[in-house]
Amino acid sequence: MTPKNNIVIGIILALLVVASYNVEVSPVEFVEGLPNLMIVIEEMVAVEPKYIPTALWAMFETIQMAFIGTVIGIAIALPLSLLSARNLNSKFVYAPIRALLAAIRTFPSILWALLFVIMVGSGTFAGVLAITMYTIGFIAKLQYEVIETIDSDPMDAVSSIGVSKVQLISYVVIPESASHLLSQMLYMFDYNIRQTSILGLVGAGGIGFYIINYIKFFEYGKAAIFMLVVLITVLVIDWASVKIRDKYIIKSQHGMEVTTK
Amino acid sequence: MKQIQMTKNPPFSLISTKKIIQMSDVWTSYDSKNFALEGINLSIDRGTNYSIVGQSGSGKSTLLKLMNSMMIPSKGIIKIDYITPNMNDKKFKKMMHTIGYIPQNLGLIKNTTILENVLIGSLPRLNKIQSLLKKFPEHEIKEAKRIIQLVGLMGKEYRKIYMLSGGEKRRVAIARALMQKPTILLADEIVSELDHVTAREIMDLIVDAQKRMNLTAIMVHHDMQLALEYANRVAVIKEGRKILEIGVEGDNIVDFQTGDMTTEEIMEMYSDDTKK
Ligand SMILES: Nc1ncnc2c1ncn2[C@@H]1O[C@H](COP(=O)(O)OP(=O)(O)O)[C@@H](O)[C@H]1O
Ligand SMILES: [Mg+2]
Repeated sequence: MTPKNNIVIGIILALLVVASYNVEVSPVEFVEGLPNLMIVIEEMVAVEPKYIPTALWAMFETIQMAFIGTVIGIAIALPLSLLSARNLNSKFVYAPIRALLAAIRTFPSILWALLFVIMVGSGTFAGVLAITMYTIGFIAKLQYEVIETIDSDPMDAVSSIGVSKVQLISYVVIPESASHLLSQMLYMFDYNIRQTSILGLVGAGGIGFYIINYIKFFEYGKAAIFMLVVLITVLVIDWASVKIRDKYIIKSQHGMEVTTK
Repeated sequence: MKQIQMTKNPPFSLISTKKIIQMSDVWTSYDSKNFALEGINLSIDRGTNYSIVGQSGSGKSTLLKLMNSMMIPSKGIIKIDYITPNMNDKKFKKMMHTIGYIPQNLGLIKNTTILENVLIGSLPRLNKIQSLLKKFPEHEIKEAKRIIQLVGLMGKEYRKIYMLSGGEKRRVAIARALMQKPTILLADEIVSELDHVTAREIMDLIVDAQKRMNLTAIMVHHDMQLALEYANRVAVIKEGRKILEIGVEGDNIVDFQTGDMTTEEIMEMYSDDTKK
């Protein structure tokens, strides 16, 4: 531990205290609030079981929204990623598209949702649009980065045959970047389910809509049931996507690594 | 520069149709400062096996890239089958379809099968619809399978590339090139990483294919011994210059560049070069 390190740690601690004071972070209030959690659990147990099917249905709706948003988002992102890869296009093509994608990414999904609620009214459609925009911004960026790191050897070998650009893309670029794409799709879907769960807070449909309304009317027990459903669903999906990744994606990438030489 | 070629005495006999590749005082560079190749003169006969040997960084790969128009000379004249390489020229583009190029790391698509890789060689013969739908005509698939058999990979058509051994991968790369119905095969250190026996199996395969289809093979090698064993001519490149061109005639190594060196002098020159 050098004196320089001590100074850095000291500064971080000081900033922590100042910032906590400014935003009213209070450990005392946190501890005092803990018994309230017990009250929520008591209320939860008292909730009639007929709400559980409603909660499950709301969760199912959320998953469907996330699914549509992810699929359409990826479908739009892929052509954009091909157009924004520097090894496939001239500056005049990739520069403006990259700028557009960067602009799309500056908005978190909840702000997109707010914008679309204003545009198309509240409901699930606004939520789907928000998830679509978010997916476009991220998948396009992740994918053009993958395309740019494709090995130049297959590109050279095939383009020197004198094939067209469309052929080069469909026979080299896409197959060489596909294994990454699969894992990104899975990750995005997983992530979008979590995001969609909260879009209801701004009126963009999904299970979050129920949660925010129960909270507004102090029905914490019902809200907690719905939150529990989100938690369990996310855990299950997380577990499933790890399984899928292990089984189909890591294996093939591992195979590629072992035999590159 | 084309005009000069037409009006003055050409440096090579342009009347003969024997020459498939000709270079006259060719210079080229990646940046504007250093030349990767300086004043290369060479001429390659149709149907022969021509080797390029030299130390790492001497410019061997660059020389191959000039022959498939991946690079353009900054000075000098190149003729591939009497045409100047130019990607925008329809005539040359058509010729590119029949130049097989195997880069140093082979350039196979790792996540696809042997058959899919070999079929890539037939892409120029597909129409737009077929190539978009990845629907290869029946006769091309048949041809691909025939070539896969020819290179000794029969029964492995549907194996993925990443599962193959080094020797098998080289066979796939050769098969893809043969699928182009090539007149020229350019191969960059295709056997350098292989063991002695496998390297010769692959070379035998190429020589065999050459005999079948009157193919000109231009190959970069690391191993002078192997180059002399298989090539009609061996060019030695050093620091971007061609310092020697030799061939084997009977028991002698003959100097074709200056014509005044003996076998001993040639071997001495080369061994000096590699010992450093
Ligand atoms: N893409 C490149 N950009 C800049 N310089 C390069 C590039 N490729 C090769 N060179 C340089 O050109 C020279 C010849 O390289 P190369 O033809 O690859 O040699 P070899 O194949 O004989 O090892 C070397 O000095 C190398 O550093
Ligand atoms: Mg090289």
